Amino acid sequence: MREKENKDWTLRAPGIHGECVPMCDRAREEVDFCIVGAGAGGGVVGAKLAEAGFSVVILDAGPHWNPVKDFVSDEVASRKLFWTDERITGGDDAVELGANNSGKGVGGSTVHYSMIAMRAHPEDFRRRTLEGEVPGADMQDWPVTFEDLEPYYEEVEEALQIAGPTRYPWGRRRKRYPQREHELNASAQVLVRGCMKLGIPVAPAPIATLSAPHRDRPPCVYRGFCNYGCTTNAKSSILVTYIPRAIAAGAEVRANSMVARIEHDEHGRVTGVLHFHKRSSELFRQRARNVVLAGYAVETPRLLLNSSSTLFPDGLANSSGLVGKCFMLHTGEQVFAKFPDHISQYKAPPPGGAITEHFNRTMPDVDFICGYTIEVVGPHPVDFAARLATARGMWGATLRRTMLDYNYYSGLGIVGEVLPQWGNIVKLHGTERDGYGLPVAHVVFSFHKNDKQIVAHAKEKMKEILRAAGGEDVWSADRTAHLLGTCRMGADPSDSVVNRDCRAHDVPNLFICDGSVFPTSTAVNPSLTIEAIAARTADRISEMARRGELKNV
Amino acid sequence: MAEQEFPTRYHGYNVLDKSSSPDWDDQTREVVRRRLEEVPPVRFLTAEEARTLAAIAERIIPQPDRSENEKVPIVPFIDEKLFKDEGDGYRYEELPPQREAWRLGLAGVDEAAQALFAGKSFVELDPLSQDVVLTHVARGDALGAAWKRMPAARFFKSVLCITVVKTYYSHPLAWNEIGYSGPSSPRGHVRKWEGGVDPWEAQEVR
Repeated sequence: MREKENKDWTLRAPGIHGECVPMCDRAREEVDFCIVGAGAGGGVVGAKLAEAGFSVVILDAGPHWNPVKDFVSDEVASRKLFWTDERITGGDDAVELGANNSGKGVGGSTVHYSMIAMRAHPEDFRRRTLEGEVPGADMQDWPVTFEDLEPYYEEVEEALQIAGPTRYPWGRRRKRYPQREHELNASAQVLVRGCMKLGIPVAPAPIATLSAPHRDRPPCVYRGFCNYGCTTNAKSSILVTYIPRAIAAGAEVRANSMVARIEHDEHGRVTGVLHFHKRSSELFRQRARNVVLAGYAVETPRLLLNSSSTLFPDGLANSSGLVGKCFMLHTGEQVFAKFPDHISQYKAPPPGGAITEHFNRTMPDVDFICGYTIEVVGPHPVDFAARLATARGMWGATLRRTMLDYNYYSGLGIVGEVLPQWGNIVKLHGTERDGYGLPVAHVVFSFHKNDKQIVAHAKEKMKEILRAAGGEDVWSADRTAHLLGTCRMGADPSDSVVNRDCRAHDVPNLFICDGSVFPTSTAVNPSLTIEAIAARTADRISEMARRGELKNV
Repeated sequence: MAEQEFPTRYHGYNVLDKSSSPDWDDQTREVVRRRLEEVPPVRFLTAEEARTLAAIAERIIPQPDRSENEKVPIVPFIDEKLFKDEGDGYRYEELPPQREAWRLGLAGVDEAAQALFAGKSFVELDPLSQDVVLTHVARGDALGAAWKRMPAARFFKSVLCITVVKTYYSHPLAWNEIGYSGPSSPRGHVRKWEGGVDPWEAQEVR
């Protein structure tokens, strides 16, 4: 409250209902924390630090969306939600970026994420111990355990009001989800029927979307445009949950601010960032006692590498040489089949989805490790037609005729574990520059043999399930999802970029708090784990500050 | 004859009939209105390139059931993307920047046509021959100098074909024929179970 009286509340930010809310102007101060990226990591850590009484600025490269006015019920018009600046993609299995996995704007990728809110499992944090050395992969145990994160999973599940089943069949025993599960949609009914026929356990999916009113937000009306921004605020994105909390607690959320580099002093401590604002070619300096980097697994390493200096010639926080290395994602193979009844898959987005984690484990009877989760998918026509074109090689009259049955197709997709490999990297491109003149990211990715075995197994299982449910014309599409790794956490400074508290080994007042810190990929949607890590990091930072371990804070 | 080629299950359905219903909010109404009423002029492609692309688009998504001015426009929207140089957020390392890729690719389709059909350009060919040319491009074994600089199969799959397809299915005429409910904010849906159809969705005419 003292903060509120003393500070300069002269800025206005979009509220979530189309109104304007007062916001602190912190451009001229040296803030306690400058956070780069306002998504799953940055939004959570920023809100919690502001609520803990620190002065906070959260920068985001994209706009501050007004959900009721800016989001459009249209696939093509929603391209503005995605990171569409140039990136170069290569390797044996070049990754599709942009709309596939990269958000831009306050709320980050949670503005268009599928809201599937899963916890990783105790085994996920100990893969190296459990699986041993895997040729060609660089498996590591996490420096945090499931038990470390468990209270934070609970905290963010409560904050996002996850709607889930009374009893979730997989993983550590847990308390009830804050909200009741959503009614199953047609694609979920298909998954449930197929699984029941085959004896595979299946459950309603836990979803970060309201199934009942919560405070000033209404429940989901099943528009089906979840991946293009929620216009009714039922979706628990970071934009409508943690960001309003951050602003109310005195944080400044500065949109349209692309960070060009992180600055440091002669002792190697960061002093703030230089950023562009809107279309101006001028660089603005935000002074900060600490910087938290939360730009996701491509922009985070890119910014560290773009911040190289005489003191840090290979990039900031990169004495291990690991910045940008072990880039991971998830395999996202999808399988579709045609059914005798109307499915109308546009009504089958995640709220009302079902899930099976039956294959999310190292199975005894196969020659690969780790596994995958099966979920339902429901692409709208533009996306579905694009799948037919790219995955089935369909064009011409055949494509147009197949699309006439669009409403009769139902789809499944996986989140498949991908093993960390040194050769999968995010680096700076030698010659390409973006609109700001900054070197663009060059992403190089190839699957490990184990990744392909998981996909092959999943593809067959999904086909079995859809056939058992009565599907015909069964076909599959290769896909990937999510961005992980490139700044992994670990105990050994020679073998990781940040420690268990997400603090850079090389730079004591630099933190990294997003999907880049994952040492292994897990086989669950990553948002809840990113948020749990961010929530824990904020608490750890507060403790360190109390103990005087953070200079000047 | 041509109409029978694409027999819709949803005769008489027009998604635009709902544009003043609770399924459409102002911003969506405006986006779709512009798509229908403000078809952009061709500003980036040359007249010749635009003709080639139009002929290709007609093979990737044939619209023989519609007269020239009834067809879903494809070229203007692709040209607008190129004119504004709106990227997709990534570029495969074997491809040049998108403007260059399209110029090169359209020239390459013509080169492939000339190599296969005695020097004829793509637009001069009959539809079946055009399909033969595009099949070679899609397979990656098309002839022509362009394809020495850029892999044909990657261009076809990740640039040419997908962009034409996405442009077509973003148009209300395409939504009508497949019975897509389209915009649905703020009303949303209720009957989302198997076989469930809300009264405000496309009704099938059996």
